[in-house]
Amino acid sequence: MSRLYDTVEPAVIDDDVLMKAVEEQGPKEEAGKIAKEEGIDFLDVTTLRLDFKNILKIDNLWSFTHLVKLQLDNNIIEKIEGLETLTRLVWLDLSFNNIEVIEGLQTLTNLEDLTLYNNRIQKIENMDALTKLHVFSIGNNNVKELDNVSYLRRFTKLQTLNLSGNPISDQADCKLYVIAHLPYLEYLNYRLIDDTSKQAAFTKYDIAIQEMQHDEKIATKKAEEAAKLKAEEELNRLAFVEHLNGPQLFESMYSEDVEGQKLNKMPGLPEMLQIYRDRFMVICVQLFEYALDKHGERNVEVDMFFECINEAKTENRTIGIAKIDEFMEYKNELWNLLNTTTDSKLQEEKVNEYNERASELWDVLMGIEMQLVDQLEESIKDFERNLSDMVAAFIEYVQGQFTQCRDLETQHHEKLLELSIMNLEKVVKNEMEEEMPEDLRDLFIDKDTLINAVSASHDVHLLKIDNREDTIITQVNSWMSNLLNKIHDEEEVERNRSRVTEICNLIDHLREEVDTLDWPNY
Amino acid sequence: MAVDDDEDVAVTSVENSQSGVVASEETPSESGITGRSVTGPDTETQEQTYEKATLQMSEDAISLQKELSAIKVVAPDISVPADTDFNKEEFPESYRENSSNEKLALSYADNFRRQYVHLYGDRKALLLNPVNECGIEKFVCTTVRPTQLPYKELFNWDGAAEFVADYLNFVSLDPPHDLPSRLLSPTTVLERQKGNCFEYSTLLCSLLIAAGYDCYVVSGYATRETCMMDETRDLCPLLKKSDMAVAKAESPQNKKYAVKPPKDLSSKFIKKMENRKLKELEDGDQKKVEEDEARQLEREKPPPDPLYGLRVHSWVLVLSGKREVPESFFIEPFTGFAHPVDSGSYLGIESVWNHQNYWVNMQDCSQGVTQLQYDLGDCTLWEYMFPSNEKPILEVPEVDHQFEDEEEEEEVEKHLDVPPSWVKQIELSLKNFQMRCPMGKKTKIYKRAKLEKFAHYLMKDGLVTRLSMYQDAEMCILTQVKEFFAHRKDKLIERHHNHINGWVTEYYIPGRSCHLKEHEYKASAPGIENDRTMIFFNEARVDGLVKRVETPLSMTEYFIDRPDFLHYRHVEFGRREKKFGPAESAIPRPIEKMVERFHRNHDKNANDDVAECMFIITEERIQLIYHKEDDKISASTQEFIKPPNANEKGAYILWHSDTHTTYQVDPKNYEKKKVILYEMLVDLIQMEDRCKERVRESEQEVQRILSDRTREEINSDLTISVYDTERNEKAKQRRKELEEEEIQERLRRQVMELDYLAPFLAQIGDPDKIARGQAFRLKEDCLADLKHRLIDKANLIQARFEKETQELQKKQSWYQQHQISMQKDDEDEYLNYCSEAMFRIHILELRLNRHKEMAPQKYMELEQRIRNDPRLSEYF
Repeated sequence: MSRLYDTVEPAVIDDDVLMKAVEEQGPKEEAGKIAKEEGIDFLDVTTLRLDFKNILKIDNLWSFTHLVKLQLDNNIIEKIEGLETLTRLVWLDLSFNNIEVIEGLQTLTNLEDLTLYNNRIQKIENMDALTKLHVFSIGNNNVKELDNVSYLRRFTKLQTLNLSGNPISDQADCKLYVIAHLPYLEYLNYRLIDDTSKQAAFTKYDIAIQEMQHDEKIATKKAEEAAKLKAEEELNRLAFVEHLNGPQLFESMYSEDVEGQKLNKMPGLPEMLQIYRDRFMVICVQLFEYALDKHGERNVEVDMFFECINEAKTENRTIGIAKIDEFMEYKNELWNLLNTTTDSKLQEEKVNEYNERASELWDVLMGIEMQLVDQLEESIKDFERNLSDMVAAFIEYVQGQFTQCRDLETQHHEKLLELSIMNLEKVVKNEMEEEMPEDLRDLFIDKDTLINAVSASHDVHLLKIDNREDTIITQVNSWMSNLLNKIHDEEEVERNRSRVTEICNLIDHLREEVDTLDWPNY
Repeated sequence: MAVDDDEDVAVTSVENSQSGVVASEETPSESGITGRSVTGPDTETQEQTYEKATLQMSEDAISLQKELSAIKVVAPDISVPADTDFNKEEFPESYRENSSNEKLALSYADNFRRQYVHLYGDRKALLLNPVNECGIEKFVCTTVRPTQLPYKELFNWDGAAEFVADYLNFVSLDPPHDLPSRLLSPTTVLERQKGNCFEYSTLLCSLLIAAGYDCYVVSGYATRETCMMDETRDLCPLLKKSDMAVAKAESPQNKKYAVKPPKDLSSKFIKKMENRKLKELEDGDQKKVEEDEARQLEREKPPPDPLYGLRVHSWVLVLSGKREVPESFFIEPFTGFAHPVDSGSYLGIESVWNHQNYWVNMQDCSQGVTQLQYDLGDCTLWEYMFPSNEKPILEVPEVDHQFEDEEEEEEVEKHLDVPPSWVKQIELSLKNFQMRCPMGKKTKIYKRAKLEKFAHYLMKDGLVTRLSMYQDAEMCILTQVKEFFAHRKDKLIERHHNHINGWVTEYYIPGRSCHLKEHEYKASAPGIENDRTMIFFNEARVDGLVKRVETPLSMTEYFIDRPDFLHYRHVEFGRREKKFGPAESAIPRPIEKMVERFHRNHDKNANDDVAECMFIITEERIQLIYHKEDDKISASTQEFIKPPNANEKGAYILWHSDTHTTYQVDPKNYEKKKVILYEMLVDLIQMEDRCKERVRESEQEVQRILSDRTREEINSDLTISVYDTERNEKAKQRRKELEEEEIQERLRRQVMELDYLAPFLAQIGDPDKIARGQAFRLKEDCLADLKHRLIDKANLIQARFEKETQELQKKQSWYQQHQISMQKDDEDEYLNYCSEAMFRIHILELRLNRHKEMAPQKYMELEQRIRNDPRLSEYF
């Protein structure tokens, strides 16, 4: 177990310690010498060993982001911390420390081998992120409850587990319990699990496991359904018509409309409202389906466009590569010739020819590139035109649908007004047969109040409809402009720039090469 | 006029028997033999001739007499070819005699023939009743003997046809324009391994009918080449290429946003003129080629045949319908190949038959067989002989004949069927089947090619087929030899030797030690370090090698599916330095340059993924070319100059930054660190060493393969399958041993089961059947005998026991008398004797007791056995 604090002074991880460790464990001999001269970047270090250093606190490791293997065993660490940035870590050794709680491992998703041997851990927890875990050692700890084992069920890649030296492994049926609950496990306490013990374990815990599996199945099914629903919603959102395949819009019209809610309780209205609602919904659903349809069409269009320009790019690239290869062949031949000849005149001639050919290559490559630019520009223009046509058509349809909605609303409003006035007359004459709710009765004081309430409700509804229409149109437009901007930037400008740089760089390099070339001079 | 009468009778009888089937008088298509009034016109003509004769006699009798006397009428020689090669006694009775059914069928056929001759005098006679081996007339339909042989190769028509063509030697008809007078049974033909076209077809038909095909022997006319089995104008079937031209129907999709091609700025007029010039040149060439071809064809055309259209031939017709045959076709029995029904090699059909019926062709054959229809049920096209025609018959709608139906039905039952075949069952031993050709060898000549076939295991080197191809029709200039092998231990199956460029290509089946698949080398230089190409089964090789191409100074290897992405390695060798000494080849050639190429490893950045690694050993340089990034057109390169001490073992490699140059495609990429470059250099030096090792290993492998090949070629061992019980000597021996063991085992058992009743049976003279009294006496005797023996034995033991006791008593009394004067030794001897005697007595006592116990049991046992004995059981 851990050493006592008072005997040795606890150490701190500081730059000196790290530097020393890195240099010790880094390249050796000549390479080491060069490395020392040059200095080692912590970024480049992939393995680090800090064992037997009496370290109390993990610290200052944030710059080792490329670390794959980290050994911190045989220290006096009490808390797992400071490892958040080491996301590439595969191998972590924290054995022979004083750790009490498993924590601080949430970001280490690549971890495959985790050793916590000889610590003071009581509970296996906080490890959900370690989906790739392959080997897990938690021997010589303080794990008491068998429930901890079922926590490990989520790690489907876990093959090796060490649990020995824990209070639970003293229990008689611990081994069988573990085998039964972790069916993927192959080695327990560093021993191969043979078929007979597997069989025995499964027969013993048959019912419990089946129950557990059943529960898990239900849970995964639920999760799947939720994911499916989410995906559908996402699709609808991409088609700009989320929540339009039902009465959602209609209901949202009334949700903020206090007067409307009151008025709806007016006698004779619910029937009318129902008809109104149905008709409204039909229009919404029409819009929804049309939008999904158009979304598919737009996707096809975009895919086709990208396919075509990628094709053009690949073709262009193969032409360019062929040209360069041709030149390289010529260059190799020339090099061989220059290496064998001693005639300085010929050499000069050849060098001149080479330079000429290099410029020629530049011309050719640039020509090809300019051709591609022209071609792409034309295609992009076509695409832009088609896409904006599509979007315009879509917007037109959307507006048409919403106009219908508004018409419906106006009709409803007129009918409502009529009905309200009729009812008001009845109320005034006290001929009202049905009982009215209190808050509604408040509106039937005089004609103005009533008409105001009805128009307020109408205004709210119209506002809602207008808002929805606006959202859809702005979303569509912004989507289109984003896409087109991206295409312009990436496909036209950036690509062209990088290609031109590449060509210039290459030609410069070729010229430089012939200048620095030293051939046999006599 | 006896013939006339005879014919009359015959016609009526035929009419009677066929009236149910053949169209009656109302039938519009009156082509049937029976449909015509036969007697009337015939007698008329005869009377007319008679009158004319008398007239002439009276006018110019003497001159005529003179003329007539000059004509010597000789009886037509229809003698059967001498039966010297057949011993009639060897054949079963059915060969030597005709059964009553057969006789009836024969007379029937004879009748048919006469009517046929009478009606169609201008047509050739039909083959109906040729004689068999024993000189007995047999009806052809009965000569077909459907038999299924136990070999799976014969179950399909192509296999069976090939077998018949291979197995028999062909005999041409003599004369070629006459039907043979003798038709041997298929059994005899198989035995003799030779036959004429009719015998070929009959045998093939017998096999095919049994295999379920709807097929017929055809008697007709064919071209001379077909009749004489002259294939010198046909392409060898092995050379025919299956046209596997896969038409790529990939119509270019019209894409909306496909970029427009760059503008073509060249002149269209110039192009046009150039094209025209090219075309003229091509046309000229093509004309020349065509002319050459035409001349060649002209030269190869067969000389005109004076007997064209008269040569009699026989082949096999397979009709569609059965065994999933989609379309009717012919099989040429001499070659075993199928021909379409409109084949130009066949010129006409007289008749067809199978084991059930005989049909005569009524269609016009002036156009060859192209226009013929094979609707055998249609009596306007095919006149059949036996009414029991199972073919669907084209019947004239009968409306008013319902009352006749009953009569007809009754008559149908009386129809004469073809009698069963007289031929013995066809038998073929496995050995003969495997020998295929007579003596296991056969040579065929095709157009500019010679094909030799050999039976498996016949040739020592496993040769099965050899195809020699020639450049000219006279077969003087050999161009290529293809040899096919089977059962070779070295897995060689094919060898092509191209005599024009001298290349030899060998093909192997999987299972060789180095997984060699193809080996191509020059026949003039088979040794190492020469031009050669080896192709391997890369799936079976650990290094994934698929191809290795060698020239005297280079070696190129191609790989597939390697985990390190290597796919190409090229080595250039330098010339060996001239050294004096015998062991020149022991020193490997110096390596000048090695190139390794790698596929893209997508786990790495393109800029860090080496595409080509070139070790220029003569210049101590290492060049690296990296892969291109997806959107880049140029690749990064790197070059190292090896430090001078790099190849020394354990040397400390020092780093000088001027030995290294890098070109980065993207100038933004920062330079790599020196440590990394240094480590790279160290790695590369190691890689070079490894690469060298690989090259040397490859060289050794080539050497090993070649030495293996020479050794194998000398031995040329054949493997024998464990399932091949005939040839597998080891298995044979083992089987023999087993058999012997079994025999011995049986003998031993026989000895053990000695018959206890035998002596008693012998006493009563071994009767076949045992009477009741005898049985009882036997039992009594047997039991008495046993009792006697048991008592005897008991007595014997008793006697010995008593004897021993007496002797012991004597000794004891002797001892008591002489006890005082006894020496120590004597006393000991006496005591010894006593103990021994006591022991013997004790044993005897035990045995006696045991015997007493066992005796009744034995007695009971015997009684039981006698009771259960099969010979006596009926009495007890």
